[in-house]
Amino acid sequence: MSEISQIKKINNMLTSKEISCEELTKSYLAQIDKVNGDLNAYVNVTPDIALASAKKVDEKLAKGEDISLLAGVPMTLKDNISTDGIETTCCSNILKGYKPIYNATVWNILKEQDAVLLGKTNMDEFAMGSSCETSCFGGAKNPHSFDHVAGGSSGGVASAVGGNIAAYGLGSDTGGSIRQPASFCGIVGLKPSYGAVSRFGLIAYASSLDQIGPITTNVEDTAIIYDAISQYDEKDSTSQGKKGCSTCEALKKDIKGMKIGIAREYLEGVRDDVKEAIENAVKVYESLGAEIVYFNLPALKFALPVYYILACAEASSNLGRYDGIRYGYKTPTYENVNDMICKTRSEGFGDEVKRRILLGTYVLSAGYYDAYYKKAQNLRGTIVKAFKNAFDSCDVILAPTVPMTAFKVGHAASDPIETYLTDICTVPVNIAGLPAVSLPCGFNPKGMPIGMQLIGNTFCEGTILNAAWSYENKVRDSVFKSPELGVKL
Amino acid sequence: MKYEMVAGLETHIELGTNTKIFCNCTTAFGGDPNTHCCPICIGLPGTLPKLNKQVVEYAIMAGLATNCEIARVSKMDRKNYCYPDLSKAYQISQYDMPLCEGGYVELSNGRKIRLTRIHIEEDAGKLIHDRGDTYVDYNRGGVPLIEIVSEPDIRSIDEAKEYVEKLQLIMKYIGISDCKMQEGSMRCDVNISVRPQGSQTLGTRTEIKNMNSITYMAKAMEYEFNRQVDVIENGGKVDQETLRYDEVTDTTSSMRGKEDAHDYRYFRDPDLVTINVTDQQIEALKKTLPELPNARYSRYVNDWGIPENDASLLTKYKKVSDFFEAACDGTENPRTAANFIIGQIFRTLENDSAKEEFNVAITAQNLNQLIKLLDSKKIRMNLAKSTLDKMLETGKPVNQLISESDMGGLDDATMLKLCNDAITANPNAVNDYKNGKEKAIKALLGFVMKNSRGKADAVAVERTIKEIIK
Amino acid sequence: MVSHDDVIQIARLAKLSIKEDELDALTGEMQNIIDFADTINSAAESGEAFDNINNLSNVFHDDVVIPSYPTEKILENAKDVADDCFLVKKRCD
Ligand SMILES: [Mg+2]
Ligand SMILES: [Zn+2]
Repeated sequence: MSEISQIKKINNMLTSKEISCEELTKSYLAQIDKVNGDLNAYVNVTPDIALASAKKVDEKLAKGEDISLLAGVPMTLKDNISTDGIETTCCSNILKGYKPIYNATVWNILKEQDAVLLGKTNMDEFAMGSSCETSCFGGAKNPHSFDHVAGGSSGGVASAVGGNIAAYGLGSDTGGSIRQPASFCGIVGLKPSYGAVSRFGLIAYASSLDQIGPITTNVEDTAIIYDAISQYDEKDSTSQGKKGCSTCEALKKDIKGMKIGIAREYLEGVRDDVKEAIENAVKVYESLGAEIVYFNLPALKFALPVYYILACAEASSNLGRYDGIRYGYKTPTYENVNDMICKTRSEGFGDEVKRRILLGTYVLSAGYYDAYYKKAQNLRGTIVKAFKNAFDSCDVILAPTVPMTAFKVGHAASDPIETYLTDICTVPVNIAGLPAVSLPCGFNPKGMPIGMQLIGNTFCEGTILNAAWSYENKVRDSVFKSPELGVKL
Repeated sequence: MKYEMVAGLETHIELGTNTKIFCNCTTAFGGDPNTHCCPICIGLPGTLPKLNKQVVEYAIMAGLATNCEIARVSKMDRKNYCYPDLSKAYQISQYDMPLCEGGYVELSNGRKIRLTRIHIEEDAGKLIHDRGDTYVDYNRGGVPLIEIVSEPDIRSIDEAKEYVEKLQLIMKYIGISDCKMQEGSMRCDVNISVRPQGSQTLGTRTEIKNMNSITYMAKAMEYEFNRQVDVIENGGKVDQETLRYDEVTDTTSSMRGKEDAHDYRYFRDPDLVTINVTDQQIEALKKTLPELPNARYSRYVNDWGIPENDASLLTKYKKVSDFFEAACDGTENPRTAANFIIGQIFRTLENDSAKEEFNVAITAQNLNQLIKLLDSKKIRMNLAKSTLDKMLETGKPVNQLISESDMGGLDDATMLKLCNDAITANPNAVNDYKNGKEKAIKALLGFVMKNSRGKADAVAVERTIKEIIK
Repeated sequence: MVSHDDVIQIARLAKLSIKEDELDALTGEMQNIIDFADTINSAAESGEAFDNINNLSNVFHDDVVIPSYPTEKILENAKDVADDCFLVKKRCD
């Protein structure tokens, strides 16, 4: 049986000397050269850094040293993950040219294991968007169809991984930014439990919702990366690391008797092709011996406005620091300090970012705090509790990742509210701090991928990845289809 | 009409921790610009704060020392405002759940100035303005502060001064801050209003920001009190505004226009977790607290019979008070040590800050030895005083300055001989005495004391001389 | 209702400058978003108290100094620097 895990496959190739790490890296770099013009996945390719790491791995192999499973595996990071000395822009004009002087904890972990960083990938500006099109570099395209978006905000990672110009990547998910593009690009994306992965070095959008997670072509790779990066970090006060055993060990257990819950609210307003794919997935789970339980989660009704209020409030505060003084863009002409700050921000931020800053400022301001921020915070408590109760009667919740498939390029930007609605299935998980994995579950008639998500109780990544792997193992050939692009291993 | 001042103070005190409140950079004062900085305290994107445990403990100690209730649950909030000295565009502070609430500071007139709250927060960086350009140094950014907010209980400039001095003293006693106003480690904002004497309602207040000396605070309050009275007397209304005090012109002026009215948009900092304090922790911290200045003062006056003035001089400086306590240890009369310190040791210390520092050559143990020699009558006061001067000059211990034979006192035969010598050498004095001039005896006494190098017991000598002459 | 003045005031707090000709469109947009946010106020329940997501408490750093960064590193990303400080000039044309 051929190896599904790209990571294991590469590790086998390297340790068996079938290919050198330098050759492997060069073939990825060559494919990036070839297809990134179409995909616009990478905003900054780092061949020197990649080849230096590759050389190091080759030297270790030549000396007969053991290498880690992730050593030499070519990968990418979303451009909001800080990399020492490597430009990190959040795809915003306000951060162009900014080179962090420290590493994000996740990058330190992977670097330590000799990961090969091919470059930094595209995203919606400051992770605010669902199509990657608010990026100052223009949006990333869908590897299944270049005239469709890759999704967002981690569109670049999904485009690169889906287009086989990175073996895996790390994105961040504040309201669906890992799961939604993974779903649009027909691959796997995990949003870990809040606190499982250190946020240190992740440029904040909304601190109480942000989590870093893996985007991969298959469930096992997601488990491998999750196990590697879910470490307690003393630099992040909200960090807890992985709780319980390795998810890789839990991955291939029999799911007979596992209770899979369906909350009816998740299926409201979902497009027919998506609904049909979800219903088919339910049948697959039944055939695997899982027990399906239906229930209601009325608290979900308010999830979307609660999300936008809380996320924008935090963002308005987190993004106050971009004032042109210490780093990033600074307006060339100004009258005084205040004018310098206002001009810098107005010229440096894009429209969607400004919109969210204004909303966030509004909901926190005197006279409005109670009606919006405080109320939203209380409803957050309600949503947390509702999920807690739901997990008394099931092990995982199955839901669509997005109510639709990838939209055509240029279609997202028209109406902000309509764009926000695409996040309706993904935001509840962030609000409640839960883990959720998105994985492919079919294609629409035009060949665009459809994704579903499996939501687990806090720190139950092992359970949802076990359910995800079992599904993938059963239906891999029909729903996990990679486009004819990029590196063929 | 007579007017009364109503004032409340917000006092910022820098805590004497080793590291900043949210990172491990040093809090050392000064240093070249931007040398005490890291990605966290200059607010680089992606960095996260982690609260300094010592800050919480020091703040609890401050609360306990000022009779506050310590919150068992509290949290950190963001106070949002954009200014170049604030690297994140928000200050991490505490809003609706401060670490300490209630409490009071008692003044010498018996009035208690109530405290609303004490909370912890971070200091901002420093802006240096030069010819209109602004230079930013973040060395002080992230240095931990406590902010002590009083109720509007202060009724006079003297009360305000004493309140600040008391706070300063308490914080120094418990060792959580050096409270150096000239280095900015203690600063006050004064909220001040006026009202007709006898009235119970509060007038409109103004806030004078950032007073960093008690003298200027007093001047600013005086100016502002008179200004507000003038406004009211002239039929006007006091505007609620934030003022800056100009030391050169001795006036206050408005700091910002109405249109920049602040709206801090406080909300809980999602990067930091809840602070839980247990009863055991509070008890443990209580045990570490030393006796506080007010308690020491009362003990000196009531138990030790030290005059009030001396007692307040002794408690005014923590180091002096500690020195005094050690010097008294095991001695019979604390007033001896008090007199030595105030009379002789203070004379070698030029000013307030020298007394504060209390860098003297003599150790408390050495002074204690000297006093014990006096107590056991091994030496006389005159010798003790001259020895103390030598000790202060040379730093030598008692036993190097006074020999065994000096300490032996004077045997009776030698004393008798010296008395006879005195009478022979001063016939005029003897005559004067015999003619009823009581005072003439002093000359004879002086002769003996001098020739015995202070070792003679003056009372015994006087008695002996009188007996011989009679 | 969101007024022009509201938007101007909010923008001032957020340190964003708004051009006269953007004001109408932006006010309308803000109104739509606020209306959307307002749907939470149709919730019957007042909600549950919410603390922090995993109810964590007492995470502290020890009061031990770690050497700071070299000043060149601290200033490396700034556009204007003078005398080891970040610099904002009086004006710039
Ligand atoms: Mg304050
Ligand atoms: Zn620091």
